[in-house]
Amino acid sequence: MIEAGSRLSTQSSGPWTTWSAAGRPDADPYTRAHTARNGLLPLASTLEITYQAKADSRGGRLNSGCEYTIVMENLGATWWSLAAFDGQGGLIQNAAERYAFNSDNVMREPDGRAIITLARDARPGNWLPITGSRVNLVLTVQDPAWAAAVYEGNAKPLPAIQRLACR
Amino acid sequence: MPRLPKWLREVGWRAVAGALLLGGIIHILATMAVPIVSSGHAFARLQDSLPINQMVLLPPPAPGKQPLPFLLPDALYAMCRYDISVDLILVNAPMTQAGWTLSLHTPQGDNFYVMPAQDSRRGAVSLTLVPSAERLGEFAATPRRISAQETQVASPSWQGLVVVRAPLKGLAWRAETEAALRRASCTPVKRS
Repeated sequence: MIEAGSRLSTQSSGPWTTWSAAGRPDADPYTRAHTARNGLLPLASTLEITYQAKADSRGGRLNSGCEYTIVMENLGATWWSLAAFDGQGGLIQNAAERYAFNSDNVMREPDGRAIITLARDARPGNWLPITGSRVNLVLTVQDPAWAAAVYEGNAKPLPAIQRLACR
Repeated sequence: MPRLPKWLREVGWRAVAGALLLGGIIHILATMAVPIVSSGHAFARLQDSLPINQMVLLPPPAPGKQPLPFLLPDALYAMCRYDISVDLILVNAPMTQAGWTLSLHTPQGDNFYVMPAQDSRRGAVSLTLVPSAERLGEFAATPRRISAQETQVASPSWQGLVVVRAPLKGLAWRAETEAALRRASCTPVKRS
């Protein structure tokens, strides 16, 4: 209940899960315990929603033996960030010193979409390096309207995490 | 139909219900105690690296050098560990770009105030952290007088964290963002 959450304290959309009341002073005891035990410092979920994914959209555990692609669309004009961490929330060492993309620095297609590729070795475009057997993805969306929609249970669908190939 | 062992048949339904109730109470109390007794919460982890009532610009997040787990790596942070048990705290923060945030947190991680920079509202933000009304009751003295322009934010705890987060557009913007973040400050103000 404290680590993984339940239907009362978390919301899921595909492989993404968020603690609905994270950061809020009126959060339920499980959310507050989760925040404290894991050393997190979230902004109130009335402004910013933080999603975490440990698996791809087909349910396979995210790991550096596979290559994944995520198409960032339907996020509108919101500020967002997509970051890769190891299983403990640490940054993944890589020679490119690249740990995340956000709506300000990602390269976009002519139609406005941003395609991010997660792989161990370099890829053209928005390449986010991953290593290790356990990868956690964190998608942060900062937008009060988005947060309100999540609170009311009307959240827009989130980007799929598509597995392309595995070694 | 399999018969239950004799010792299990002798356990009354009242004992089972009582055990379940007791277990539930212990579970709830233990869960509620975690934010108070946990030594791994964000405030405890940052305590040693943040001098009291002083804004500190943290180094850019890097592998093995993150102050907290899952902290956004594409942002720079300035933080201040405040204590308003003696003086009030005046917080100044630049909010130069959309995506910047100024947030206030209790030691348990509750984010009781957050202000995002928006296209329509950019520039320096100034606010004074004061004790909440119930905490103020513990003081004989009244807080200092305020002007109409001054924003006061009541902190539910004597101590806590001020966090200014500045998203990075890219490496080329790091120096500019750091320079802007250095203007953030946390200054004790005497009660009058």
